[in-house]
Amino acid sequence: MRFKKPLSVCPGWLAALCFLMTFTGIAAPAKDLKFQALLVWATDAEKSPDHNHKPVDAEVLKKLRELPLRWKNYFEVRREHFIVPRGGAEKVTLSDKCKIGVTDVDGRHVEVSLIGKGEPVLKRIQPLSRGETLVLGGNAPDSTGWLVVLKRVE
Amino acid sequence: MIMTSEQQLKLQAFLDGELPEKEARDAAALVARDAEAADLVAELRNTRRALAGFEPGLKVPESRECYWSRIERLIQRLEPAPATAPSVSFFGRLRRFLVPTGAVAALVIVAAVAVLELGRPGVLARPETEMTSPDSAAFTYQDDANGTTLVWLSYPAESGFAEKAVH
Repeated sequence: MRFKKPLSVCPGWLAALCFLMTFTGIAAPAKDLKFQALLVWATDAEKSPDHNHKPVDAEVLKKLRELPLRWKNYFEVRREHFIVPRGGAEKVTLSDKCKIGVTDVDGRHVEVSLIGKGEPVLKRIQPLSRGETLVLGGNAPDSTGWLVVLKRVE
Repeated sequence: MIMTSEQQLKLQAFLDGELPEKEARDAAALVARDAEAADLVAELRNTRRALAGFEPGLKVPESRECYWSRIERLIQRLEPAPATAPSVSFFGRLRRFLVPTGAVAALVIVAAVAVLELGRPGVLARPETEMTSPDSAAFTYQDDANGTTLVWLSYPAESGFAEKAVH
């Protein structure tokens, strides 16, 4: 079987496809952004003095092991799931002294704010696509560390 | 005397008996007085004599006019008919117009969307970190393979935030 006049027919379909794809992308409903935030305590100690702390799960541990961090163990202090509406902002409390704020800039870029003791410590704008993770961290007393692991789930 | 090609052709016609009477007499006089003309006529005569035995006498079954008329009809039948422009329907003309127009329109829309998207503030901006606490600084480690970014704050370990953050 032969296709007749492929060159005269294909451009029409191609143009229509481009047209549809363009407007499908534009008309696609804007989805909310879903995040998971973890407050993590990093230490060389085998156990946390707080019985409520538990070791981070394997996925988070793998991520942290791939970073240039020197601690042996990581304990999950608190885990929060939250949704940032498209173009909106959300704040999450991870401890008495630690909060983070996430603002959707354009669906791909987010502005992340770290608030310590009620005062802004850091503000950062960066792309954070689905599955990507932003880790904020710093030193804590007794050669330990604290980490905020922010993962975009959707 | 050197003969011209016209004179040579005339001598050939003379030999074939195709010249009018006057010209035939002139040709005969030329042959009589010019040796080269006489040689040419003798050569042509010899050639005709030599070929006479090899020409088969073909006879066509019909008259000459009828024979050539048949060949002419055959030639006319084999000649391709002059090409006439195929008639194009209204929808065909419309499609010829709409296909390139649609493609150009689609490209313009894609370009416009791209320009609008890229023109939005912050889209092309590089990651931007702003330290709002005067006694701290930060460095960034980027792990593109795993999609992970680490921002390490030199926030004093003895500060209330770090001390109380996890306990």
